[in-house]
Amino acid sequence: MKEINSNQSQKLLEMRKISKSFPGVLALDNVDFDLNAGEVHALVGENGAGKSTLMKILSGAHQADIGMIRMEGRTLKIHNPRIAQDSGISTIYQEFNLIPHLSIASNIFLGHEPKQFAGFISKKIMTKETINILAELGLSINPDILVRNLNVAQQQMVEVAKALIYHAKILIMDEPTSALTTAEIETLFATIRSIQLKGVGIIYISHRLEELFQIANRVTVLRDGKSVGVFKISEVNKKDLIRLMADRDLKEYYPRIRSKVGKTILKVSHLNRGNYLKEISFHLKQGEVLGIAGLLGAGRTELAQAIFGVNQIETGKIFVKNSPADIISPRKAIKAGIGFLTEDRKHSGLVLKMSVKDNISLPNLDKLSKYGFLKRKDLKNISLKFIEEFRIKTPGINQKVMNLSGGNQQKVVLSKWIARNLDILIFDEPTRGIDVASKVEIYNLMNQLTAQGVGIIMISSELPEILGMSDRILVMHDGKITAEFDANNVDQETLLAKALGEVA
Amino acid sequence: MIPKALIHHGRQLGTFLGLIFLCLILWILTPYFLTVSNLLNILEQSSINATIAVGMTFVIITAGIDLSVGSILAFSGVVLASTLQAGVPLPVALLAGMLTGTLCGLLNGALISIGRLPPFIVTLGMMSIARGAALVYTNGRPISGFEQSFRWIATGKIFYIPMPLIVMFIVYFIAHIVLTRTKFGQYAYAMGGNEEATYLSGVNVRFHKTMVYALCGLTSAFAAILLTARLNSAQPIAGIMYELDAIAATVIGGTSLMGGEGTLVGTLIGALIMGVLRNGLNILGVSSFLQQIIIGTVIIIAVLLDTIMKKQKR
Amino acid sequence: MKKILIFLGAIFILFMGCNRENDRTNDSEKIRIALVLKTLNSPFFIDLKSGAEQAAKQLNVELIVQAPEREIDVEKQMQIIENLIQTRVDAICVSPSGSKELIPAMAKANQANIPVLIVDTRIDENIANSEGVTTTTFIGSDNYQGGKIAGEYVAKLSQGEMNVVILEGIPGHETGDNRLRGFKESIEKFPNIHVVASQPANWERDQGYNVMQNLLQAHPDIDAVFACNDLMALGAMEAIIAGGKSEKIKIIGFDAVEEARNEITTGNLEASVAQHPAEMGRLAIENAVKVLNGEKIPTFIPVKIELITRQTSEENLR
Repeated sequence: MKEINSNQSQKLLEMRKISKSFPGVLALDNVDFDLNAGEVHALVGENGAGKSTLMKILSGAHQADIGMIRMEGRTLKIHNPRIAQDSGISTIYQEFNLIPHLSIASNIFLGHEPKQFAGFISKKIMTKETINILAELGLSINPDILVRNLNVAQQQMVEVAKALIYHAKILIMDEPTSALTTAEIETLFATIRSIQLKGVGIIYISHRLEELFQIANRVTVLRDGKSVGVFKISEVNKKDLIRLMADRDLKEYYPRIRSKVGKTILKVSHLNRGNYLKEISFHLKQGEVLGIAGLLGAGRTELAQAIFGVNQIETGKIFVKNSPADIISPRKAIKAGIGFLTEDRKHSGLVLKMSVKDNISLPNLDKLSKYGFLKRKDLKNISLKFIEEFRIKTPGINQKVMNLSGGNQQKVVLSKWIARNLDILIFDEPTRGIDVASKVEIYNLMNQLTAQGVGIIMISSELPEILGMSDRILVMHDGKITAEFDANNVDQETLLAKALGEVA
Repeated sequence: MIPKALIHHGRQLGTFLGLIFLCLILWILTPYFLTVSNLLNILEQSSINATIAVGMTFVIITAGIDLSVGSILAFSGVVLASTLQAGVPLPVALLAGMLTGTLCGLLNGALISIGRLPPFIVTLGMMSIARGAALVYTNGRPISGFEQSFRWIATGKIFYIPMPLIVMFIVYFIAHIVLTRTKFGQYAYAMGGNEEATYLSGVNVRFHKTMVYALCGLTSAFAAILLTARLNSAQPIAGIMYELDAIAATVIGGTSLMGGEGTLVGTLIGALIMGVLRNGLNILGVSSFLQQIIIGTVIIIAVLLDTIMKKQKR
Repeated sequence: MKKILIFLGAIFILFMGCNRENDRTNDSEKIRIALVLKTLNSPFFIDLKSGAEQAAKQLNVELIVQAPEREIDVEKQMQIIENLIQTRVDAICVSPSGSKELIPAMAKANQANIPVLIVDTRIDENIANSEGVTTTTFIGSDNYQGGKIAGEYVAKLSQGEMNVVILEGIPGHETGDNRLRGFKESIEKFPNIHVVASQPANWERDQGYNVMQNLLQAHPDIDAVFACNDLMALGAMEAIIAGGKSEKIKIIGFDAVEEARNEITTGNLEASVAQHPAEMGRLAIENAVKVLNGEKIPTFIPVKIELITRQTSEENLR
């Protein structure tokens, strides 16, 4: 009789003594990581801790300098993503790898299309298999629908289906819930559990520590490129994790210090824009943080864009400091004293190719130039000032921002707006994708700003953040403002309910 | 430790070394290459393409492209020539030529930035329109024969330096200052690097983009002045395919077609590389057919090296 | 990266070092004559080149032939001449792409004491004189005469009303202008011959095709086509055959290159005015050598011109 015992005690995945360095930085230092079949193993750590590098090594995008990877007992040399995929390792990234103008079926089978004789793609087989795999995930969508017509949650399911089609044994999920509603998250978790039953091992990367306690079996914490602990999820709590991640006892996770509230600096009345904004009216006072809560699609970013002049409103008025403002472009908005930190800093907040100095000065060049000529000394000094004040980690003012970490990039974005001394700042997801330490710094900055009398509108999808940092909270649903609360007098469930559109 | 200057200007240094390497090879292959008169010859011959490439560099830095520069050159040239022959004083005639080029460029810019049309298509259309305008304006015939005062722009010398060189260097000097030390230049880089982020930072993207194309039209007009003075004739069919040489010089010089990076120093070196190559191949007696293959190959190698070096940096 | 470049460079240099034919160390060797043509993409100039090459071989002189890719690239031709001056050729024979535009380049040749012989297309004498530019001689056909011969032939062909279309060369080229003038003036005397269209096709075959095709649309009753060179005539011929009108329309070209002669024999082309490009080339080199030896040569060396038709070619074959 053949011994099959060894198979059962064999781990699905073992990564041993993985080290990797890039020019100037040791990204991973002797890291061990393992995964059992049918397990959800969470991987947490601040940005820059090494999570994504570790996963990139596993998925073939990078090669480790030192170390060994074993899958089901066999040593693997993962030289490129194709080998990883063929070995059964699939990754679902935060920004999906889908082709918007192709159908669900085409996306799922991209690169692996089932072929008939003479090399023609068999659409029939593709469609049938797509329906099958979607059904396994509990979905019954028409496989011919174009991916761009799906919502985020559905697209994510397509990504999962893609992985399953390749008979993935290991599924890496990177921040899978960041763009999902609570209901969608539940569906995702149900899907994950069903995949677990098939023996698939899932590596789950997330900043949302609360979720881990719902879905993960074990958790590994990385800090500064090293593994600082592997635990069963029942052995730890959120505070423990935070402490391990940051090596700091962050007493005030949300250190909001309320400032004295002054006069009304922004008043919006009866704003309408198609289906996106319906009869929006609210006001903002000096020194106040106004949080705007709501689910994806509620219209929060559209509201910000309307106030900032990116999209034209159809009806309604905006008053800045009690005088009407005709805001038809970002330029006009800035002139009126409004600044906008966008949701996606890489896409619309920064010019990645340009330096820290040039990014900070970009909205301020008219003040930093004379007769069209740049005042280079002033440019330099302003940049140095903000690097110091905000503790931006960069080798110098001429470093290209694309080389900075997420948190530092966000600080550059902040600097460029603060340099302008605006009265009103709109923050859209200000701490998304940022490590814990930087998050706290940004919150402290918000405190400083409001102490100076700046009014802040903060849009966030993280309810704890909204509750922790706002003074007042508006909830939006389906383009309307459905509720207003004082942050001290409301809890997460009520906010969630209002965001979901519940009336009571 | 690598000096800071080397990091900043590494790309240009590389291109410069390429130019030196080329000159070295030619020096070994023929004694006629490295003489003062031949080198001046090369600089003079490169001046027209180099001048057009100044505007092209700005345009490509904004992640755009301008295919109409050759046609704008022709149109500006014939307007210039006809006003000269009409007896108008020289400065006015020059202004007329420059105005023609600038207006064509403005039209390009407006359609691209306000009309939101792709630069490739707009300038492709302008390429045809300006060429047609030149042909209609002159009925297809060249306009020739000008006063010495005008011809001096191409044939004159100041301290033994040929005028086209002086004009070229002045254009480059001014353009370099604009690109590196003014708001306008910064905005060009920013728009090319990320137009949306630039717009959301409150920059008037429409205006600045339009102006960049107007600038390109202006430099084409400058080149028209040089060419017309040099040939003593303005032909409506002048400048055909000149856009390719201008783009080649810009790209060899390190400007990325994706936008957001590039330098005028690099472009100048790129234009010189093309000029040296053509001159050298002529002197070596290489057939014009083979010349085309060689020049095309050099362009591809230059861009290939650039891509490889960029990948290594990461 | 740099190391690789240096290594490749060293190899290249070594390789090239073994191959230095173009190196001239002293002046007492062969005479070097440059022949700068409008283009090498045309049978006419290829014939001219071979005539020159034969003469060069016989006279034991070195011949350097250069040309831009297209006849319209005047600036390129100027650069070629400037670069050749740098290599200190002994004489330059040039067929100028621009009758006025190349004069500055010739001025530079004058300054370098390099004699300039003009072949095939004249330069503008007025401008040359006012600029103080001298050329040794013009070797070529009388293009005006050629146009006249073509016109007279068309007149002979006409019976009653006749609609004629002209395909012109690049405007401003002395060659084309003179051929055109010769043709037009000779048929002016015949009131039954109407020129219904006269358009440039820039000496190029594909443009000849396109322009002819368009003209066929606009003028359904064309009887004859005069193209100022054979390439345009051949292009027009193909358009006419494609349009099914080859029986009706008679085509007369200019240059009488080999392909044209073949088409005349088969009947697709009616006639062509023969220049003798090979003869031009030969005469150019021979006279250049004479000038360099101190002999005096005439300022105009005509090369005969004649009309080739099916009859005359058949006569030649006998």
